[in-house]
Amino acid sequence: MDLKFLIVDDSMTMRRIVINSLRNLGYGNFVEAGDGKEALDKLAVDSAINFIITDWNMPVVSGLELIKAIRSDPKVAHIPVLMVTTRGIKEDIIEALKAKVNNYIVKPFTPHILKEKIEQILAIAS
Amino acid sequence: MKKATNLSELFEKLDDLKSVFRYGEKLIPVIQGLVDFMRDTVPLLENINSSISESTSKIPKATNQIHNITSATELATTEILDIIDVISNDISTAEEAISSLIRIEKEKEEILLEIKNLTEDNLEVAALFERYARINKVNPVLSPLTELFEKIRNNVYNITLSLQVQDITAQQLAAVNHLIESVQEKLSSLVIDFEVTNVSVLDSTAIQVPLNTTFDPNARYSKSLDQQDTADALVKDHQCRTSQDEIDKLFS
Repeated sequence: MDLKFLIVDDSMTMRRIVINSLRNLGYGNFVEAGDGKEALDKLAVDSAINFIITDWNMPVVSGLELIKAIRSDPKVAHIPVLMVTTRGIKEDIIEALKAKVNNYIVKPFTPHILKEKIEQILAIAS
Repeated sequence: MKKATNLSELFEKLDDLKSVFRYGEKLIPVIQGLVDFMRDTVPLLENINSSISESTSKIPKATNQIHNITSATELATTEILDIIDVISNDISTAEEAISSLIRIEKEKEEILLEIKNLTEDNLEVAALFERYARINKVNPVLSPLTELFEKIRNNVYNITLSLQVQDITAQQLAAVNHLIESVQEKLSSLVIDFEVTNVSVLDSTAIQVPLNTTFDPNARYSKSLDQQDTADALVKDHQCRTSQDEIDKLFS
Protein backbone atom coordinates (compact mmCIF):
# COMPACT_ATOMS: atom_id res chain seq x y z
CA MET A 1 0.00 0.00 0.00
CA ASP A 2 1.43 3.37 -1.05
CA LEU A 3 1.11 5.75 1.85
CA LYS A 4 0.80 9.50 1.49
CA PHE A 5 1.24 11.07 4.91
CA LEU A 6 -0.21 14.35 6.11
CA ILE A 7 2.01 15.63 8.93
CA VAL A 8 0.23 18.22 11.08
CA ASP A 9 2.23 20.14 13.68
CA ASP A 10 2.68 23.85 14.40
CA SER A 11 6.35 23.20 15.16
CA MET A 12 8.42 23.10 12.00
CA THR A 13 11.10 21.22 13.97
CA MET A 14 8.67 18.44 14.84
CA ARG A 15 7.40 18.19 11.25
CA ARG A 16 10.95 17.75 10.02
CA ILE A 17 11.76 15.17 12.72
CA VAL A 18 8.63 13.14 11.90
CA ILE A 19 9.39 13.30 8.17
CA ASN A 20 13.04 12.29 8.76
CA SER A 21 11.83 9.34 10.82
CA LEU A 22 9.34 8.28 8.16
CA ARG A 23 12.07 8.53 5.50
CA ASN A 24 14.23 6.25 7.67
CA LEU A 25 11.33 3.79 7.74
CA GLY A 26 11.24 3.82 3.94
CA TYR A 27 8.30 6.14 3.30
CA GLY A 28 8.69 9.03 0.89
CA ASN A 29 5.37 10.74 0.23
CA PHE A 30 4.48 13.62 2.56
CA VAL A 31 2.30 16.70 2.83
CA GLU A 32 2.70 19.18 5.70
CA ALA A 33 0.28 21.42 7.59
CA GLY A 34 0.93 23.92 10.41
CA ASP A 35 -2.44 23.54 12.14
CA GLY A 36 -5.75 21.70 11.98
CA LYS A 37 -7.39 24.16 9.61
CA GLU A 38 -4.55 23.95 7.12
CA ALA A 39 -4.77 20.15 7.40
CA LEU A 40 -8.50 20.18 6.58
CA ASP A 41 -7.80 22.45 3.59
CA LYS A 42 -5.13 20.03 2.33
CA LEU A 43 -7.44 17.04 2.84
CA ALA A 44 -10.14 18.78 0.81
CA VAL A 45 -7.91 19.12 -2.24
CA ASP A 46 -5.66 16.07 -2.00
CA SER A 47 -7.55 12.78 -2.16
CA ALA A 48 -4.30 10.78 -2.20
CA ILE A 49 -3.66 11.45 1.51
CA ASN A 50 -4.28 8.17 3.31
CA PHE A 51 -2.51 8.54 6.65
CA ILE A 52 -2.51 11.45 9.10
CA ILE A 53 0.00 12.11 11.86
CA THR A 54 -1.05 15.03 14.03
CA ASP A 55 -0.01 16.99 17.11
CA TRP A 56 -2.62 18.04 19.69
CA ASN A 57 -1.69 21.58 20.78
CA MET A 58 -1.98 23.78 17.72
CA PRO A 59 -3.41 27.22 17.05
CA VAL A 60 -6.64 27.85 15.07
CA VAL A 61 -7.85 24.21 14.99
CA SER A 62 -6.29 21.80 17.51
CA GLY A 63 -5.41 18.18 16.80
CA LEU A 64 -8.42 16.95 18.76
CA GLU A 65 -10.77 19.24 16.82
CA LEU A 66 -9.11 18.05 13.62
CA ILE A 67 -9.84 14.39 14.44
CA LYS A 68 -13.47 15.22 15.27
CA ALA A 69 -13.81 17.13 11.98
CA ILE A 70 -12.27 14.24 10.02
CA ARG A 71 -14.50 11.63 11.66
CA SER A 72 -17.63 13.67 10.94
CA ASP A 73 -16.82 14.05 7.24
CA PRO A 74 -17.75 10.86 5.31
CA LYS A 75 -15.24 11.69 2.55
CA VAL A 76 -12.23 11.44 4.88
CA ALA A 77 -13.61 9.67 7.97
CA HIS A 78 -11.88 6.40 7.00
CA ILE A 79 -8.35 7.88 7.00
CA PRO A 80 -6.28 6.58 9.94
CA VAL A 81 -5.04 9.21 12.38
CA LEU A 82 -2.02 8.80 14.63
CA MET A 83 -1.62 11.42 17.34
CA VAL A 84 1.93 12.41 18.38
CA THR A 85 1.77 14.78 21.34
CA THR A 86 3.31 15.81 24.66
CA ARG A 87 -0.06 15.26 26.36
CA GLY A 88 0.51 12.03 28.24
CA ILE A 89 -2.07 12.12 31.02
CA LYS A 90 -4.76 9.46 31.08
CA GLU A 91 -7.71 11.86 30.69
CA ASP A 92 -6.21 13.35 27.51
CA ILE A 93 -5.55 9.95 25.97
CA ILE A 94 -9.12 8.86 26.72
CA GLU A 95 -10.45 12.09 25.18
CA ALA A 96 -8.45 11.43 22.01
CA LEU A 97 -9.71 7.83 21.87
CA LYS A 98 -13.28 9.04 22.28
CA ALA A 99 -12.66 11.32 19.29
CA LYS A 100 -11.68 8.11 17.41
CA VAL A 101 -7.94 8.53 17.06
CA ASN A 102 -6.40 5.27 15.78
CA ASN A 103 -3.29 5.30 17.94
CA TYR A 104 -1.38 7.55 20.29
CA ILE A 105 2.30 8.42 20.78
CA VAL A 106 3.65 10.51 23.65
CA LYS A 107 6.57 12.80 22.75
CA PRO A 108 9.50 12.40 22.72
CA PHE A 109 8.97 9.42 20.44
CA THR A 110 11.45 6.83 19.25
CA PRO A 111 11.59 5.48 15.66
CA HIS A 112 10.73 2.05 17.03
CA ILE A 113 7.48 3.32 18.56
CA LEU A 114 6.57 5.27 15.42
CA LYS A 115 7.12 2.19 13.25
CA GLU A 116 5.16 -0.01 15.66
CA LYS A 117 2.14 2.32 15.77
CA ILE A 118 2.00 2.80 11.99
CA GLU A 119 2.18 -0.98 11.49
CA GLN A 120 -0.52 -1.59 14.12
CA ILE A 121 -2.85 0.91 12.41
CA LEU A 122 -2.19 -0.59 8.98
CA ALA A 123 -2.70 -4.14 10.29
CA ILE A 124 -6.10 -3.24 11.76
CA ALA A 125 -7.06 -1.28 8.63
CA SER A 126 -6.29 -4.23 6.36
CA MET B 1 -47.75 69.62 87.15
CA LYS B 2 -47.30 68.93 83.46
CA LYS B 3 -44.56 71.59 83.29
CA ALA B 4 -42.62 69.81 86.05
CA THR B 5 -42.79 66.48 84.13
CA ASN B 6 -41.54 68.17 80.95
CA LEU B 7 -38.63 69.70 82.79
CA SER B 8 -37.76 66.37 84.35
CA GLU B 9 -37.75 64.77 80.88
CA LEU B 10 -35.58 67.60 79.58
CA PHE B 11 -33.03 67.06 82.37
CA GLU B 12 -33.02 63.35 81.64
CA LYS B 13 -32.29 64.09 77.97
CA LEU B 14 -29.55 66.52 78.97
CA ASP B 15 -28.01 63.82 81.17
CA ASP B 16 -28.07 61.43 78.22
CA LEU B 17 -26.43 64.09 76.06
CA LYS B 18 -23.80 64.63 78.74
CA SER B 19 -23.08 60.88 78.75
CA VAL B 20 -22.73 60.93 74.96
CA PHE B 21 -20.26 63.84 75.19
CA ARG B 22 -18.30 62.03 77.91
CA TYR B 23 -18.21 58.89 75.75
CA GLY B 24 -17.19 61.04 72.77
CA GLU B 25 -14.34 62.52 74.80
CA LYS B 26 -13.10 59.01 75.50
CA LEU B 27 -13.53 58.05 71.84
CA ILE B 28 -11.65 61.04 70.37
CA PRO B 29 -8.12 59.69 71.21
CA VAL B 30 -9.07 56.36 69.64
CA ILE B 31 -10.28 58.10 66.47
CA GLN B 32 -7.17 60.28 66.53
CA GLY B 33 -5.05 57.12 66.76
CA LEU B 34 -6.92 55.62 63.82
CA VAL B 35 -6.42 58.76 61.73
CA ASP B 36 -2.70 58.78 62.60
CA PHE B 37 -2.46 55.13 61.63
CA MET B 38 -4.19 55.83 58.30
CA ARG B 39 -1.84 58.76 57.72
CA ASP B 40 1.15 56.50 58.33
CA THR B 41 -0.30 53.78 56.11
CA VAL B 42 -0.77 56.01 53.05
CA PRO B 43 2.96 56.31 52.22
CA LEU B 44 3.27 52.57 52.77
CA LEU B 45 0.40 51.91 50.35
CA GLU B 46 1.95 54.35 47.87
CA ASN B 47 5.22 52.44 48.16
CA ILE B 48 3.44 49.14 47.54
CA ASN B 49 1.62 50.73 44.63
CA SER B 50 4.81 52.00 43.00
CA SER B 51 6.56 48.66 43.62
CA ILE B 52 3.71 46.80 41.95
CA SER B 53 3.73 49.29 39.04
CA GLU B 54 7.47 48.87 38.65
CA SER B 55 7.28 45.07 38.80
CA THR B 56 4.35 45.02 36.39
CA SER B 57 6.21 47.20 33.90
CA LYS B 58 9.13 44.71 33.94
CA ILE B 59 6.95 41.68 33.18
CA PRO B 60 6.49 42.33 29.42
CA LYS B 61 10.26 42.50 29.04
CA ALA B 62 10.57 39.11 30.75
CA THR B 63 7.86 37.50 28.63
CA ASN B 64 9.27 38.98 25.44
CA GLN B 65 12.69 37.61 26.37
CA ILE B 66 11.19 34.16 26.92
CA HIS B 67 9.47 34.42 23.55
CA ASN B 68 12.77 35.46 21.95
CA ILE B 69 14.46 32.42 23.53
CA THR B 70 11.83 30.16 21.94
CA SER B 71 12.35 31.81 18.53
CA ALA B 72 16.13 31.61 18.85
CA THR B 73 16.12 27.93 19.86
CA GLU B 74 13.72 27.13 17.00
CA LEU B 75 16.04 28.89 14.56
CA ALA B 76 19.08 27.09 16.01
CA THR B 77 17.25 23.74 15.83
CA THR B 78 16.34 24.40 12.20
CA GLU B 79 20.00 25.17 11.47
CA ILE B 80 21.07 21.93 13.20
CA LEU B 81 18.47 20.00 11.18
CA ASP B 82 19.80 21.63 7.99
CA ILE B 83 23.34 20.56 8.88
CA ILE B 84 22.10 17.07 9.74
CA ASP B 85 20.44 16.86 6.31
CA VAL B 86 23.74 17.88 4.67
CA ILE B 87 25.66 15.28 6.72
CA SER B 88 23.09 12.58 5.88
CA ASN B 89 23.36 13.40 2.18
CA ASP B 90 27.17 13.36 2.39
CA ILE B 91 27.05 9.98 4.14
CA SER B 92 24.78 8.65 1.39
CA THR B 93 27.20 9.92 -1.29
CA ALA B 94 30.18 8.38 0.53
CA GLU B 95 28.30 5.09 1.02
CA GLU B 96 27.44 4.94 -2.68
CA ALA B 97 31.08 5.65 -3.60
CA ILE B 98 32.32 2.91 -1.26
CA SER B 99 29.75 0.44 -2.59
CA SER B 100 30.82 1.11 -6.16
CA LEU B 101 34.51 0.82 -5.14
CA ILE B 102 33.80 -2.56 -3.51
CA ARG B 103 31.93 -3.63 -6.66
CA ILE B 104 34.82 -2.53 -8.93
CA GLU B 105 37.36 -4.28 -6.70
CA LYS B 106 35.34 -7.48 -6.84
CA GLU B 107 35.14 -7.25 -10.62
CA LYS B 108 38.89 -6.61 -10.82
CA GLU B 109 39.56 -9.68 -8.69
CA GLU B 110 37.37 -11.81 -10.94
CA ILE B 111 39.23 -10.59 -14.06
CA LEU B 112 42.59 -11.18 -12.43
CA LEU B 113 41.52 -14.66 -11.39
CA GLU B 114 40.58 -15.43 -14.98
CA ILE B 115 43.96 -14.15 -16.17
CA LYS B 116 45.66 -16.27 -13.48
CA ASN B 117 43.79 -19.36 -14.66
CA LEU B 118 44.76 -18.65 -18.28
CA THR B 119 48.43 -18.21 -17.38
CA GLU B 120 48.79 -21.05 -14.86
CA ASP B 121 52.03 -22.32 -16.33
CA ASN B 122 53.79 -18.97 -16.20
CA LEU B 123 55.75 -18.85 -12.93
CA GLU B 124 56.53 -15.16 -13.28
CA VAL B 125 52.84 -14.34 -13.59
CA ALA B 126 52.07 -16.58 -10.60
CA ALA B 127 54.64 -14.73 -8.50
CA LEU B 128 53.14 -11.41 -9.56
CA PHE B 129 49.68 -12.63 -8.53
CA GLU B 130 51.00 -13.68 -5.14
CA ARG B 131 52.57 -10.27 -4.67
CA TYR B 132 49.36 -8.58 -5.74
CA ALA B 133 47.29 -10.67 -3.29
CA ARG B 134 49.62 -9.60 -0.46
CA ILE B 135 49.26 -5.87 -1.13
CA ASN B 136 45.58 -5.86 -2.25
CA LYS B 137 43.92 -4.85 1.01
CA VAL B 138 41.26 -2.54 -0.45
CA ASN B 139 38.18 -4.61 0.35
CA PRO B 140 39.10 -5.40 3.96
CA VAL B 141 39.58 -1.64 4.47
CA LEU B 142 36.39 -0.61 2.68
CA SER B 143 34.00 -3.06 4.33
CA PRO B 144 34.37 -1.70 7.89
CA LEU B 145 33.90 1.79 6.41
CA THR B 146 30.38 0.84 5.38
CA GLU B 147 29.62 -0.20 8.95
CA LEU B 148 31.21 3.00 10.24
CA PHE B 149 29.02 5.13 7.98
CA GLU B 150 25.96 3.21 9.13
CA LYS B 151 26.96 3.97 12.72
CA ILE B 152 27.43 7.68 11.91
CA ARG B 153 24.05 7.72 10.16
CA ASN B 154 22.37 6.25 13.25
CA ASN B 155 24.09 8.72 15.56
CA VAL B 156 23.04 11.64 13.34
CA TYR B 157 19.48 10.31 13.35
CA ASN B 158 19.56 10.08 17.14
CA ILE B 159 20.59 13.74 17.28
CA THR B 160 17.52 14.52 15.15
CA LEU B 161 15.30 12.66 17.61
CA SER B 162 16.84 14.48 20.58
CA LEU B 163 15.89 17.77 18.95
CA GLN B 164 12.29 17.02 19.96
CA VAL B 165 13.38 18.71 23.17
CA GLN B 166 12.99 22.06 21.34
CA ASP B 167 9.26 21.55 20.81
CA ILE B 168 8.79 20.37 24.39
CA THR B 169 10.73 23.26 25.96
CA ALA B 170 8.91 25.72 23.68
CA GLN B 171 5.65 24.50 25.20
CA GLN B 172 7.08 24.72 28.71
CA LEU B 173 8.22 28.31 28.05
CA ALA B 174 4.80 29.17 26.58
CA ALA B 175 3.23 27.84 29.80
CA VAL B 176 5.59 30.04 31.87
CA ASN B 177 4.66 33.04 29.72
CA HIS B 178 0.99 32.32 30.25
CA LEU B 179 1.58 32.18 34.00
CA ILE B 180 3.49 35.48 33.95
CA GLU B 181 0.69 37.07 31.91
CA SER B 182 -1.84 35.99 34.54
CA VAL B 183 0.33 37.49 37.31
CA GLN B 184 0.63 40.71 35.34
CA GLU B 185 -3.15 40.89 34.93
CA LYS B 186 -3.67 40.46 38.68
CA LEU B 187 -0.99 43.02 39.53
CA SER B 188 -2.40 45.47 36.99
CA SER B 189 -5.87 45.21 38.48
CA LEU B 190 -4.39 45.85 41.94
CA VAL B 191 -2.61 48.98 40.74
CA ILE B 192 -5.77 50.19 39.01
CA ASP B 193 -7.66 49.72 42.29
CA PHE B 194 -5.05 51.85 44.07
CA GLU B 195 -4.85 54.66 41.61
CA VAL B 196 -6.86 55.25 38.44
CA THR B 197 -4.18 57.52 36.96
CA ASN B 198 -1.81 54.58 36.46
CA VAL B 199 -4.02 53.00 33.80
CA SER B 200 -2.25 54.77 30.94
CA VAL B 201 1.13 53.66 32.31
CA LEU B 202 -0.06 50.06 32.46
CA ASP B 203 -1.42 50.20 28.92
CA SER B 204 2.11 50.70 27.66
CA THR B 205 3.27 47.56 29.48
CA ALA B 206 1.18 45.21 27.38
CA ILE B 207 2.86 41.89 26.55
CA GLN B 208 3.80 41.67 22.86
CA VAL B 209 3.96 37.90 22.47
CA PRO B 210 1.74 36.16 19.86
CA LEU B 211 -1.75 35.48 21.15
CA ASN B 212 -2.23 32.23 19.22
CA THR B 213 0.42 30.33 21.17
CA THR B 214 -0.83 26.94 22.31
CA PHE B 215 0.91 24.69 24.75
CA ASP B 216 0.69 21.72 27.04
CA PRO B 217 1.41 22.94 30.60
CA ASN B 218 2.53 19.41 31.55
CA ALA B 219 4.94 18.97 28.62
CA ARG B 220 8.19 17.32 29.70
CA TYR B 221 11.23 15.83 28.02
CA SER B 222 11.58 12.38 29.49
CA LYS B 223 12.86 9.15 28.03
CA SER B 224 10.74 7.19 30.47
CA LEU B 225 8.12 5.10 28.71
CA ASP B 226 5.57 5.29 31.54
CA GLN B 227 3.22 7.63 29.71
CA GLN B 228 3.61 5.69 26.45
CA ASP B 229 2.80 2.48 28.33
CA THR B 230 -0.36 4.11 29.72
CA ALA B 231 -1.31 5.23 26.22
CA ASP B 232 -0.68 1.73 24.82
CA ALA B 233 -2.79 0.10 27.54
CA LEU B 234 -5.66 2.54 26.97
CA VAL B 235 -5.51 2.14 23.18
CA LYS B 236 -5.48 -1.66 23.52
CA ASP B 237 -8.40 -1.59 25.93
CA HIS B 238 -10.31 0.78 23.63
CA GLN B 239 -9.64 -1.40 20.58
CA CYS B 240 -10.81 -4.53 22.41
CA ARG B 241 -13.99 -2.79 23.52
CA THR B 242 -14.62 -1.43 20.02
CA SER B 243 -14.24 -4.93 18.52
CA GLN B 244 -16.60 -6.38 21.13
CA ASP B 245 -19.14 -3.62 20.41
CA GLU B 246 -18.97 -4.49 16.71
CA ILE B 247 -19.51 -8.22 17.46
CA ASP B 248 -22.41 -7.36 19.78
CA LYS B 249 -23.98 -5.22 17.05
CA LEU B 250 -23.79 -8.13 14.60
CA PHE B 251 -25.67 -10.44 16.97
CA SER B 252 -28.24 -7.97 18.22
